[in-house]
Amino acid sequence: MALTEARPLALPSGEGDHNERPAGVFARPTASTGWRSWVTTVDHKKIGIMYGATALVFLMIGGFEALLIRLQLWAPNGTLLSANVYNQVYTMHGTTMVFLVVMPIGAAFANYLMPLQIGARDVAFPRINAFSYWVYAFAGIFINSSWLLGGGADGGWFNYAPNNGVIFSPSHGIDFWNLGLIIAGIASLAGAINLIVTVLNLRAPGMTLMKMPIFTWMTLVTQFLLLFAIPVLTSAQILLMMDRLFHANFFNVAKGANPLLWEHLFWIFGHPEVYLMILPAFGLVSEMLPVFSRKPIFGYPFIVFSGVAIGFMGWGVWAHHMFVSGIGPISVTAFSLTTMFIAVPTGVKILNWTATMWGGKLQFTSPMLFSIGLVTMFTIGGLSGVTHSVAPADTQQTDTYYIVAHFHYVLFGGAFFGFVGAFYFYWPKVFGYMLNETLGKVNFWAMLLGFNLTFAPMHILGLQGMSRRVYTYGEGYGFDLWNKVATIGAFILASSVLFFVFNIFYSKVKAKSLPPVGPDPWDARTIEWMTPSPVPAYNYDPIPTVTRVDDFWYRKYGETKDGKLVRIAETEDVTQKLSDGKHIHLPSPSYWPVVVAFGLPIVAYGLIFSLWLCVVGGLIVVGGLFGWVLEPPDDPDAAHTDHGPDDHASDDGSAVEGTGELPAADAEGDAAEKETEPVG
Amino acid sequence: MALTPHDQIPTQVLDGAVKEYSRDRVYVLTALFLGAITVVEVLTYAAPTFFLWPNNDIKIFVLLLLMAVKFFTVAYIFMHLRFDKKILTYFFYAGLTLAVLVYIAVLSMFRIWFPGRHG
Amino acid sequence: MAETVYSHESVAEADAQAPVAHIEHDTNTGISNTKLAMWLFLASECLLFGGLITTYILYRHPLEGPTPKEIFDIPFTSTSSFVLLMSSLTMVLAVSAIERGDHERLRVWLGATALLGATFIAGQVYEFTVFVREGLGFTTSRFSSAFYTLTGFHGVHVTVGIIMLMSMLFLSLRGKLPEHRAETVEVVGLYWHFVDVVWIFIFAVVYLIP
Repeated sequence: MALTEARPLALPSGEGDHNERPAGVFARPTASTGWRSWVTTVDHKKIGIMYGATALVFLMIGGFEALLIRLQLWAPNGTLLSANVYNQVYTMHGTTMVFLVVMPIGAAFANYLMPLQIGARDVAFPRINAFSYWVYAFAGIFINSSWLLGGGADGGWFNYAPNNGVIFSPSHGIDFWNLGLIIAGIASLAGAINLIVTVLNLRAPGMTLMKMPIFTWMTLVTQFLLLFAIPVLTSAQILLMMDRLFHANFFNVAKGANPLLWEHLFWIFGHPEVYLMILPAFGLVSEMLPVFSRKPIFGYPFIVFSGVAIGFMGWGVWAHHMFVSGIGPISVTAFSLTTMFIAVPTGVKILNWTATMWGGKLQFTSPMLFSIGLVTMFTIGGLSGVTHSVAPADTQQTDTYYIVAHFHYVLFGGAFFGFVGAFYFYWPKVFGYMLNETLGKVNFWAMLLGFNLTFAPMHILGLQGMSRRVYTYGEGYGFDLWNKVATIGAFILASSVLFFVFNIFYSKVKAKSLPPVGPDPWDARTIEWMTPSPVPAYNYDPIPTVTRVDDFWYRKYGETKDGKLVRIAETEDVTQKLSDGKHIHLPSPSYWPVVVAFGLPIVAYGLIFSLWLCVVGGLIVVGGLFGWVLEPPDDPDAAHTDHGPDDHASDDGSAVEGTGELPAADAEGDAAEKETEPVG
Repeated sequence: MALTPHDQIPTQVLDGAVKEYSRDRVYVLTALFLGAITVVEVLTYAAPTFFLWPNNDIKIFVLLLLMAVKFFTVAYIFMHLRFDKKILTYFFYAGLTLAVLVYIAVLSMFRIWFPGRHG
Repeated sequence: MAETVYSHESVAEADAQAPVAHIEHDTNTGISNTKLAMWLFLASECLLFGGLITTYILYRHPLEGPTPKEIFDIPFTSTSSFVLLMSSLTMVLAVSAIERGDHERLRVWLGATALLGATFIAGQVYEFTVFVREGLGFTTSRFSSAFYTLTGFHGVHVTVGIIMLMSMLFLSLRGKLPEHRAETVEVVGLYWHFVDVVWIFIFAVVYLIP
């Protein structure tokens, strides 16, 4: 059991007063098992798992909504859903998938994996990390509660003005959408700040920025995109909130407002948004392809810099979502050009991945199959994207199923395939057992088939003129066949996703009769594979010193004079053993993040239904924040141990210092690793 | 509680920044400077036909310039950017530059710069 | 690298004898987590306020109701702007005081900053009530909506700042804000200066520019 510690107003500059009465009213929670340990956890790994699990639940909801859409569109003049209900279903499908599934799965991997990849014990602000998760979970519940409270949002996931106003959308659905996403935005923003500080400040000794794994780099770029994009959406949503709840005039054309303001603000967010959905998957694939090609990633600096370039250039293309909104030929031309240019860094990545595989000793495991799936499917989606960049062509394509095809190819064929592959890849590390490989391959082929059957025909449907965002189509247009194919494909796809869930349970049961999986089942390259599986609470003991990219690989393998790979160490000699972690500081659990997070949707319900609820919610939030800031440390004696230079003097074995020395290991004081202390 | 040398080091040194002396004097002088700039700004309203700003366009330019001077003075001196590690300046500029560029682009697309002209 | 064949012992040894990181600070950049986080937050706030300011610039000429020129009281607003500007001075003097270990002065300057901030807010509230009385309600025109949202949002930020300042003042009075926690004051100070800087922007763009 690791000693826990955290300090009120915690600062690394040290706290010297042993005689201080601990602040705070309630003691810190101490649970380390059971549901309470999950609710109060500040461990990035538990939080990552919760992000992933919650996202999978929302995946089921969003997927169900997708099936409803496909059933409605099975035949012309479908009667399953009325126009009104259809609008709600497709809006909520998009909103759920974007904000409650894809982004959180990215967050799940970023949370679990990134601190491990940089050799840290946790993120910079563990309690804020927990807060981000709970805010997301509650926001997701809040948005979806609209189904039970008057209907879902029905203006599309982009909710254009003036349709998003109370005149044209009188139900509360869009209010739920608006306030729910403002709340979810708080979660993302806090998470972004947290993870950026973590990557910049908490890296292991020797890990310079250009020695970080690609996934960490992509996570860093993603967090910067979040940091700057979310506030733009928030500003738009504040305007909408003022209009809908307080009769402001931001999108009231009669008073001279311009609805295009919404479009601009939304898409200034919206375009970086799509890059921040795909970049984590790009990073994950960049981890998996080298492992299963037995070769290092081709052109590490190029992959890094192209990721950064995508981050920058993504800000200059937003109006390609507005080519037909009347912005004028100069703007259209400018954004057309910038959109064409942004294909370049992505193309660089595709080339680098291909070159990684070229000449490698390929192993077609499940993760590898899904990774190759991402590379191929994303390329198809990217090519249709390039056709959109040609503005005259886009004028034909926009608002048709051709666009629907494009973004599903890049988001599902790209991001989701990458995520599923990464689930297969990292499952043993996270849970200590492998997902069944045979089932995994079946999973892949079923998903590939279902996915392509669903979305490939949409290219054709779109070019034939089938309009999107409409609840039905007439007879005699010639859309019937491909819609039927797409619906069949959708059910195959849904089955493959359920199959994945089945694989989880099946493998868990099977694992009981299998030997433990060990730290490095895939013979991987990066340092997180040095840890025991599943990863212990303290992550590393000791924290390794990194000397190069793919440091772990080169502890296992060297090269002979003629460049041949030769094994230089057994896996068990270069991976870490489970230790008791008694001498390692970990941040204390806390329930204030849940409390404060809980207050936010109550404020939102209040804004929609009754302002008294706002007072209640506000009190919970403010009270919770004060409780958080003034929270007592877990062990008053431990409270003094910040890592100032004077702390090294207390190496008397009293096991209070977080220097992570194994009793047997070395005698050089705490020279081994100067770990960075998470500040709660 | 014994005060160690560690406790007495001002935070700025801990951040690797330059240690300064007579800080307070600098701050007060800076505040006076900012006040003076504000007075000039208000003068554009109080004396609208002063020779320094003969027409509206120049007036706008002068106001924006003065605003920028105040902005960066507060950022560099009060917020200590001049004395801290450069990376903080980079981050702040990153957000600021992005905001300025993106929003000027949006305003341009609304053709606000030359009202009445249809581009 | 092609020549070298590592032994696993040499790598483990290298781990154990790795040089200690920079002794004054645990972080790779040498900047504390909290300070770095606050600067990142402030950078993101530029985008948020930028959106609201852009909206204002677009909507500043109303189709009905009072216009900016008719309604603004520049002398009054100049005074309250000056008040906020001076609060930045008292804030930075507070930071300077705690870094010197002068807790008496810290409390004086913290209180002064909060007081000046509260004066600014009082001025805003007064200004708004006068405007409403003169016919500029929140829903009157596009200009009014944009104006009140932007300045109101800024006012909320100032109020949150005042709460943080008062909290620190109370903590200091209870003896829980010792010198080595100077950075808390500094970080709150950063937030406060940013709020002031946004007002510098708003004052020029909203009130002064013709």
